[in-house]
Amino acid sequence: MARVPIIRVGDILLATIQEDLHDSDALALQESLTTELERTGANGVLLDFTTVQTVDSFLGRMLNDVVAAIQLLGATTVVVGIQPAVAMTLVELGLELKGIRTALDAERGMRLLGSALGTSVREG
Amino acid sequence: MKDQARNAAQLIEEQRATINELQTPVIEVWKGILALPIVGSVDTARAQDMNERLLDRIIQTRSEIVILDITAVPVVDTAVAKHLLETVSSARLLGAEVFIVGLSSRTAMTLVHLGLDLGGVITRTTLAKGLELAFDRLGLRVVSSKPSRDIRGS
Repeated sequence: MARVPIIRVGDILLATIQEDLHDSDALALQESLTTELERTGANGVLLDFTTVQTVDSFLGRMLNDVVAAIQLLGATTVVVGIQPAVAMTLVELGLELKGIRTALDAERGMRLLGSALGTSVREG
Repeated sequence: MKDQARNAAQLIEEQRATINELQTPVIEVWKGILALPIVGSVDTARAQDMNERLLDRIIQTRSEIVILDITAVPVVDTAVAKHLLETVSSARLLGAEVFIVGLSSRTAMTLVHLGLDLGGVITRTTLAKGLELAFDRLGLRVVSSKPSRDIRGS
Protein backbone atom coordinates (compact mmCIF):
# COMPACT_ATOMS: atom_id res chain seq x y z
CA MET A 1 0.00 0.00 0.00
CA ALA A 2 1.45 3.34 -1.08
CA ARG A 3 0.93 5.27 2.11
CA VAL A 4 1.43 8.99 2.27
CA PRO A 5 4.18 9.86 4.72
CA ILE A 6 3.27 12.48 7.28
CA ILE A 7 6.23 14.57 8.35
CA ARG A 8 6.25 16.67 11.46
CA VAL A 9 8.06 20.01 11.18
CA GLY A 10 7.83 21.83 14.47
CA ASP A 11 4.21 22.73 15.01
CA ILE A 12 3.17 21.66 11.54
CA LEU A 13 2.29 18.32 9.92
CA LEU A 14 3.32 18.00 6.29
CA ALA A 15 1.73 15.54 3.86
CA THR A 16 2.55 15.32 0.15
CA ILE A 17 -0.31 13.79 -1.80
CA GLN A 18 0.90 11.44 -4.54
CA GLU A 19 -0.52 11.34 -8.04
CA ASP A 20 -1.89 7.80 -8.01
CA LEU A 21 -3.66 7.92 -4.69
CA HIS A 22 -6.22 5.13 -4.55
CA ASP A 23 -9.45 5.49 -2.68
CA SER A 24 -8.24 3.23 0.12
CA ASP A 25 -4.99 5.22 0.42
CA ALA A 26 -7.00 8.42 0.58
CA LEU A 27 -9.07 7.04 3.42
CA ALA A 28 -5.92 5.81 5.16
CA LEU A 29 -4.42 9.28 4.85
CA GLN A 30 -7.54 10.83 6.33
CA GLU A 31 -7.31 8.44 9.24
CA SER A 32 -3.60 8.82 9.87
CA LEU A 33 -3.65 12.62 9.55
CA THR A 34 -6.32 12.99 12.20
CA THR A 35 -4.78 10.46 14.59
CA GLU A 36 -1.33 12.00 14.11
CA LEU A 37 -2.79 15.43 14.77
CA GLU A 38 -4.37 14.18 17.96
CA ARG A 39 -1.16 12.43 19.05
CA THR A 40 1.29 15.25 18.35
CA GLY A 41 -0.97 18.18 19.17
CA ALA A 42 0.25 20.02 16.07
CA ASN A 43 -1.53 23.25 15.22
CA GLY A 44 -1.08 23.36 11.47
CA VAL A 45 -1.36 20.98 8.52
CA LEU A 46 0.14 21.54 5.08
CA LEU A 47 -1.23 19.40 2.25
CA ASP A 48 0.92 19.49 -0.88
CA PHE A 49 -0.85 18.73 -4.18
CA THR A 50 1.98 19.74 -6.53
CA THR A 51 2.39 16.35 -8.20
CA VAL A 52 -1.34 15.66 -8.52
CA GLN A 53 -2.43 16.19 -12.13
CA THR A 54 -5.99 14.86 -11.93
CA VAL A 55 -8.62 14.51 -9.24
CA ASP A 56 -11.91 12.68 -9.14
CA SER A 57 -14.94 13.42 -7.01
CA PHE A 58 -13.79 10.95 -4.37
CA LEU A 59 -10.45 12.65 -3.76
CA GLY A 60 -12.20 16.02 -3.80
CA ARG A 61 -14.67 14.88 -1.17
CA MET A 62 -11.87 13.36 0.87
CA LEU A 63 -10.02 16.66 0.81
CA ASN A 64 -13.10 18.55 2.00
CA ASP A 65 -13.77 16.02 4.77
CA VAL A 66 -10.23 15.87 6.05
CA VAL A 67 -9.97 19.65 6.21
CA ALA A 68 -13.27 19.83 8.11
CA ALA A 69 -12.02 17.19 10.54
CA ILE A 70 -8.71 19.01 11.03
CA GLN A 71 -10.62 22.19 11.74
CA LEU A 72 -12.70 20.35 14.36
CA LEU A 73 -9.46 19.28 16.00
CA GLY A 74 -8.55 22.93 16.27
CA ALA A 75 -5.78 23.03 13.66
CA THR A 76 -5.37 25.16 10.53
CA THR A 77 -4.96 23.61 7.09
CA VAL A 78 -3.23 25.13 4.09
CA VAL A 79 -3.52 23.36 0.73
CA VAL A 80 -0.67 24.17 -1.66
CA GLY A 81 0.41 23.42 -5.21
CA ILE A 82 -2.98 22.83 -6.78
CA GLN A 83 -2.51 22.62 -10.57
CA PRO A 84 -4.75 24.55 -13.01
CA ALA A 85 -6.46 21.40 -14.32
CA VAL A 86 -7.13 20.20 -10.78
CA ALA A 87 -8.54 23.58 -9.78
CA MET A 88 -10.89 23.59 -12.77
CA THR A 89 -12.07 20.05 -12.04
CA LEU A 90 -12.73 20.82 -8.39
CA VAL A 91 -14.76 23.90 -9.31
CA GLU A 92 -16.72 21.94 -11.92
CA LEU A 93 -17.48 19.30 -9.30
CA GLY A 94 -18.74 22.06 -7.03
CA LEU A 95 -15.97 21.34 -4.51
CA GLU A 96 -14.65 24.84 -4.22
CA LEU A 97 -13.03 24.20 -0.84
CA LYS A 98 -14.66 27.30 0.58
CA GLY A 99 -12.93 28.54 3.68
CA ILE A 100 -9.80 26.52 2.99
CA ARG A 101 -6.57 28.49 2.85
CA THR A 102 -4.53 27.94 -0.28
CA ALA A 103 -1.08 28.96 -1.46
CA LEU A 104 0.89 28.65 -4.68
CA ASP A 105 3.65 26.44 -3.32
CA ALA A 106 4.93 24.86 -0.12
CA GLU A 107 7.16 27.81 0.74
CA ARG A 108 4.32 30.31 0.65
CA GLY A 109 2.08 27.81 2.43
CA MET A 110 4.53 27.54 5.30
CA ARG A 111 4.70 31.32 5.52
CA LEU A 112 0.91 31.53 5.55
CA LEU A 113 0.67 28.87 8.25
CA GLY A 114 3.38 30.58 10.24
CA SER A 115 1.56 33.89 10.23
CA ALA A 116 -1.81 32.23 10.94
CA LEU A 117 -0.42 30.30 13.89
CA GLY A 118 1.61 33.26 15.10
CA THR A 119 -1.49 35.42 15.22
CA SER A 120 -3.49 32.84 17.12
CA VAL A 121 -0.77 32.64 19.74
CA ARG A 122 -0.69 36.40 20.18
CA GLU A 123 -4.46 36.58 20.40
CA GLY A 124 -4.65 33.77 22.94
CA MET B 1 -12.16 29.31 -57.57
CA LYS B 2 -11.54 26.46 -55.18
CA ASP B 3 -8.26 28.00 -54.10
CA GLN B 4 -9.96 31.29 -53.48
CA ALA B 5 -12.59 29.70 -51.29
CA ARG B 6 -9.95 27.82 -49.37
CA ASN B 7 -7.91 30.98 -48.85
CA ALA B 8 -10.99 32.81 -47.62
CA ALA B 9 -11.80 30.02 -45.18
CA GLN B 10 -8.23 30.01 -43.95
CA LEU B 11 -8.29 33.76 -43.50
CA ILE B 12 -11.47 33.57 -41.44
CA GLU B 13 -9.95 30.85 -39.29
CA GLU B 14 -6.81 32.91 -38.72
CA GLN B 15 -8.86 35.95 -37.84
CA ARG B 16 -10.93 33.95 -35.40
CA ALA B 17 -7.76 32.74 -33.70
CA THR B 18 -6.46 36.30 -33.51
CA ILE B 19 -9.70 37.60 -32.04
CA ASN B 20 -9.68 34.76 -29.53
CA GLU B 21 -6.23 35.75 -28.43
CA LEU B 22 -7.03 39.43 -28.30
CA GLN B 23 -10.20 39.15 -26.31
CA THR B 24 -8.68 37.72 -23.14
CA PRO B 25 -5.29 39.23 -22.42
CA VAL B 26 -3.88 38.50 -18.99
CA ILE B 27 -1.69 41.44 -18.03
CA GLU B 28 0.87 41.47 -15.27
CA VAL B 29 0.29 45.03 -14.10
CA TRP B 30 2.78 44.73 -11.26
CA LYS B 31 4.95 41.99 -9.86
CA GLY B 32 2.47 39.62 -8.26
CA ILE B 33 -0.63 41.35 -9.62
CA LEU B 34 -2.47 40.13 -12.72
CA ALA B 35 -5.25 42.07 -14.42
CA LEU B 36 -7.81 40.49 -16.71
CA PRO B 37 -9.84 43.06 -18.61
CA ILE B 38 -12.91 41.35 -20.00
CA VAL B 39 -14.35 43.01 -23.09
CA GLY B 40 -17.69 41.97 -24.52
CA SER B 41 -20.02 39.17 -23.58
CA VAL B 42 -18.87 36.05 -21.78
CA ASP B 43 -20.10 32.65 -22.92
CA THR B 44 -19.09 29.21 -21.71
CA ALA B 45 -16.36 28.58 -24.28
CA ARG B 46 -14.81 31.97 -23.72
CA ALA B 47 -15.02 31.69 -19.95
CA GLN B 48 -13.22 28.38 -20.06
CA ASP B 49 -10.51 29.72 -22.35
CA MET B 50 -10.09 32.76 -20.12
CA ASN B 51 -9.90 30.59 -17.04
CA GLU B 52 -7.22 28.34 -18.51
CA ARG B 53 -5.06 31.29 -19.55
CA LEU B 54 -5.43 32.95 -16.19
CA LEU B 55 -4.52 29.85 -14.17
CA ASP B 56 -1.46 29.20 -16.33
CA ARG B 57 -0.34 32.80 -15.90
CA ILE B 58 -0.80 32.64 -12.13
CA ILE B 59 1.58 29.68 -11.99
CA GLN B 60 3.97 31.25 -14.49
CA THR B 61 4.21 34.64 -12.79
CA ARG B 62 3.65 33.37 -9.23
CA SER B 63 1.04 36.05 -8.76
CA GLU B 64 -0.82 36.51 -5.52
CA ILE B 65 -3.56 38.83 -6.71
CA VAL B 66 -5.89 38.80 -9.71
CA ILE B 67 -8.07 41.73 -10.73
CA LEU B 68 -11.01 40.88 -12.99
CA ASP B 69 -12.14 44.04 -14.76
CA ILE B 70 -15.72 43.79 -16.00
CA THR B 71 -16.06 47.44 -17.04
CA ALA B 72 -16.58 46.44 -20.67
CA VAL B 73 -18.98 43.57 -20.05
CA PRO B 74 -22.34 44.90 -21.25
CA VAL B 75 -24.65 42.63 -19.26
CA VAL B 76 -23.93 40.59 -16.16
CA ASP B 77 -26.69 38.02 -15.89
CA THR B 78 -26.91 34.72 -14.02
CA ALA B 79 -24.77 32.85 -16.56
CA VAL B 80 -22.02 35.49 -16.67
CA ALA B 81 -21.98 35.74 -12.88
CA LYS B 82 -21.62 31.95 -12.67
CA HIS B 83 -18.64 32.03 -15.04
CA LEU B 84 -17.02 34.83 -13.07
CA LEU B 85 -17.47 32.96 -9.81
CA GLU B 86 -15.95 29.82 -11.31
CA THR B 87 -12.91 31.84 -12.34
CA VAL B 88 -12.67 33.32 -8.86
CA SER B 89 -12.96 29.91 -7.18
CA SER B 90 -10.35 28.21 -9.34
CA ALA B 91 -7.86 31.07 -8.98
CA ARG B 92 -8.36 30.91 -5.22
CA LEU B 93 -7.50 27.23 -5.24
CA LEU B 94 -4.14 28.20 -6.70
CA GLY B 95 -3.58 30.51 -3.79
CA ALA B 96 -4.43 33.81 -5.48
CA GLU B 97 -6.85 36.39 -4.18
CA VAL B 98 -9.35 37.73 -6.71
CA PHE B 99 -11.03 41.13 -6.88
CA ILE B 100 -13.78 41.98 -9.34
CA VAL B 101 -13.65 45.60 -10.46
CA GLY B 102 -15.57 47.78 -12.89
CA LEU B 103 -19.02 47.15 -11.50
CA SER B 104 -21.47 49.79 -12.61
CA SER B 105 -24.48 50.81 -10.56
CA ARG B 106 -26.63 49.07 -13.16
CA THR B 107 -24.65 45.84 -12.79
CA ALA B 108 -24.89 46.05 -9.02
CA MET B 109 -28.65 46.51 -9.17
CA THR B 110 -29.01 43.66 -11.69
CA LEU B 111 -27.07 41.33 -9.40
CA VAL B 112 -29.18 42.33 -6.42
CA HIS B 113 -32.44 41.94 -8.34
CA LEU B 114 -31.41 38.53 -9.65
CA GLY B 115 -30.64 37.55 -6.09
CA LEU B 116 -27.08 36.62 -7.02
CA ASP B 117 -24.57 36.35 -4.27
CA LEU B 118 -20.97 36.95 -5.29
CA GLY B 119 -19.98 34.84 -2.33
CA GLY B 120 -17.77 37.24 -0.44
CA VAL B 121 -15.74 38.28 -3.48
CA ILE B 122 -14.26 41.72 -2.98
CA THR B 123 -15.63 44.16 -5.54
CA ARG B 124 -14.72 47.72 -6.47
CA THR B 125 -16.06 50.22 -9.00
CA THR B 126 -12.84 51.00 -10.84
CA LEU B 127 -9.61 49.29 -11.78
CA ALA B 128 -7.71 52.04 -9.95
CA LYS B 129 -9.43 51.20 -6.68
CA GLY B 130 -8.76 47.52 -7.22
CA LEU B 131 -5.10 48.23 -7.86
CA GLU B 132 -4.91 50.37 -4.74
CA LEU B 133 -6.32 47.50 -2.70
CA ALA B 134 -3.92 45.05 -4.36
CA PHE B 135 -0.93 47.25 -3.46
CA ASP B 136 -2.25 47.43 0.07
CA ARG B 137 -2.47 43.62 0.29
CA LEU B 138 1.12 43.26 -0.91
CA GLY B 139 2.28 45.88 1.55
CA LEU B 140 3.16 48.34 -1.21
CA ARG B 141 2.46 52.04 -1.16
CA VAL B 142 2.30 54.55 -3.98
CA VAL B 143 3.84 57.85 -2.95
CA SER B 144 4.13 61.07 -4.89
CA SER B 145 7.49 62.70 -5.40
CA LYS B 146 5.71 66.03 -5.68
CA PRO B 147 4.41 67.29 -2.34
CA SER B 148 0.94 68.56 -3.22
CA ARG B 149 -0.15 65.98 -5.75
CA ASP B 150 -3.00 63.62 -4.91
CA ILE B 151 -1.92 60.24 -6.24
CA ARG B 152 -4.91 58.26 -5.13
CA GLY B 153 -7.04 56.52 -7.72
CA SER B 154 -10.31 58.01 -8.87
